[in-house]
Amino acid sequence: MSLEKVIFGFFVLLAATLNLGFFIGDLSDPRLHNVYELFAAVVVNLIATVLKFGDRTQIGAVHLATSLVADLQLIAAALVWAYATQIAAPGLSAQETASVVSLSGGALLANLVAVVLLVVETVSFHRR
Amino acid sequence: MAGTSEQPWHDVIRGREPRRRSRRRTGFAGAAETSPTVFLILRRMRAPLILLITIFAISTLGLTVIPGRDAAGQPYRMGFFDAFYVMSYTATTIGYGEIPHAFTGAQRLWVMGTIYLSVVGWAYAIGSLLTLLQDRGFRQALALQRFTRTVSRLREPFLLIAGYGQTGQLLGRALDALGRRFVVLDTSAERVDALDVDSYHADVPGLAGDAGSPRMIGVAGLEHPYCEGVLALTDNDEVNLVVTMTAALIRPSIPVIARTVSPVIEHRMQAFGSPTVVNPFDRFGDHLRLALRAPASYQLLSWLAGGPGAEQPEPARPPTAGRWIVCGYGRFGRELTEDLSAEGVDVTIVDLDPDADPGHSIVVGDASDPAVMARAHPERAVGFVAGTDNDTTNLSLIAAARRINSELFIAARQNRPSSAPLFAAVDVDQLLVPTEMVAREIYAQLSTPLLWRFLQDMPARGNDWAVHIVDRLQLHCGRRLGSVWKITMTRREAPALWPSVTTGDARLGDLMRSPHDRDEPLPAVPLLLQHGDETILGPGDDVTLAPDDQLLVAGDPPARRYLLDTMTNPAVAEYVLHDRSVPSGWLWQRVTGRVPR
Repeated sequence: MSLEKVIFGFFVLLAATLNLGFFIGDLSDPRLHNVYELFAAVVVNLIATVLKFGDRTQIGAVHLATSLVADLQLIAAALVWAYATQIAAPGLSAQETASVVSLSGGALLANLVAVVLLVVETVSFHRR
Repeated sequence: MAGTSEQPWHDVIRGREPRRRSRRRTGFAGAAETSPTVFLILRRMRAPLILLITIFAISTLGLTVIPGRDAAGQPYRMGFFDAFYVMSYTATTIGYGEIPHAFTGAQRLWVMGTIYLSVVGWAYAIGSLLTLLQDRGFRQALALQRFTRTVSRLREPFLLIAGYGQTGQLLGRALDALGRRFVVLDTSAERVDALDVDSYHADVPGLAGDAGSPRMIGVAGLEHPYCEGVLALTDNDEVNLVVTMTAALIRPSIPVIARTVSPVIEHRMQAFGSPTVVNPFDRFGDHLRLALRAPASYQLLSWLAGGPGAEQPEPARPPTAGRWIVCGYGRFGRELTEDLSAEGVDVTIVDLDPDADPGHSIVVGDASDPAVMARAHPERAVGFVAGTDNDTTNLSLIAAARRINSELFIAARQNRPSSAPLFAAVDVDQLLVPTEMVAREIYAQLSTPLLWRFLQDMPARGNDWAVHIVDRLQLHCGRRLGSVWKITMTRREAPALWPSVTTGDARLGDLMRSPHDRDEPLPAVPLLLQHGDETILGPGDDVTLAPDDQLLVAGDPPARRYLLDTMTNPAVAEYVLHDRSVPSGWLWQRVTGRVPR
């Protein structure tokens, strides 16, 4: 068991779970989507991305790509949230909540792909 | 001199497109790919970046959690947006103040902590980045990547020079003056850095790396379709062998020139394809032999090899009869002793090693010791060779030998370029500078291969023949050699001669007439005619020129212009070759009915 693999797997999974936690629930209900969870998802996703830097294998490249997609989506979600709370009329409307949550939903898909890759990598490693 | 492979060099000189062979995958091209440096940066920056993200995240989170108060004193919690805004300007040490409301004590305490934390984070990240940029491995990776890119972008034929010592530098300058491109591979980073300082016309890519590593040779462009030749010029025979071997195995079609001072290595090199091997000691011995056997041949050789503007050298007359003393029985001494013995000259060896060679009379001891020198009896010798690998020793040996016998013919070996003025001052009869010798030999082969061939084949023709050529040269061109150039009987290069050449009535003797007055000869001497695979040395006047014949001519610069005139102007060619006056204008040709063929 290598500590590096543990940390890597931990962050990839945590990014996906936090993302799911934020995403789950009625799309347009602001009460079901905690902004702290979005914050945690952004931070953990960023860390996961940095962890994937510098891997030259094919699977490593796809890993990095999924993370970059997730980052993009989550940061977009955070920006929409910031716009909704700070610039537009105060308070999150149902429509704004829906766009924040659906953007994080896209990130969730990318994170799920990353998890699948992680599993595939682990399984194929054992076969060899 | 070992077997030569001149044919490929001819292709090179004629500017033929290098054959584009389908690239064989050797497995070595893949290994030659360099690791992209961006991955290295990313890998090394992982820890600092994660630290920065974490510090930012914790600081921002803390600000949103810690309770504050608004202007009215009501409890208030900062949102993520404000918290991130505050952290962004605080962590980057800009500091706009306390926004949106004045902070409470708890908030100030937290911000204080985050300021120190983030400063540490930044310092660590920037420090890591700077360390990375200073890192030797990283810089090497960058240099390698830049070199690989430059080499792969070369779109004109280039030579690969492995070893950029004195020989490489001399040759590099000469090749650059000829307008040839080359790529340099050398172990020493300083020499490669010197490439930037040297004033070359063309950009010369250089890589500091092990020239003895096939991977590095591959990176330097061995498999590049425009690589037209490999020169192995390092001062290490073993490395030169590896370069020769690699080139012969990976690109058997391209010519290789290698330098070595060891006959054993030379044999091993010959086992791979047919590289041209230049052994300065061997060549010097050959020259000395030639000078002993055929002084005029040697005179002609040194005159022509001297390049444009060379004065006719005095016919050096080394003594043929009598005993020679060879000081220093290393590789140089050994080669020279062999050559002298082959000429039937009696040789006395002076060396520290008593078992040096039982075949010759030997004086054991340090030659700089007067007693040892006296035992070699320089007063009864005719020739003296100072051949140790130490210049100071060689110079003092020359002085000591001269003091005893001022009539001695002295041959010496100069090892370091800085000793050149000293050797010039002692006025040695025949001086070997190995690095210059190699550079000159290779330059002669690369610049005018026909001249090289002439110099190779010329000694076989004997002394009398050489006397004849030297006399002709002196008669036509005076004591100063004008230039040596090559003309080719092709439709492109000699359009005016082409009709006569194809019908076979272009005599060489007629070509060498002056366009002003046919009865006057041109101030030029044809040295060699290459007809297919056949070479004619010193072709006579009755030789007829055939298509694609190559002619090597030595003569004054005006002769070169006249000859060019004859080759390109049909009216001139008509007059010079066939003594027919033809008008040069189209109208008068029609009016008079005299048309050049």
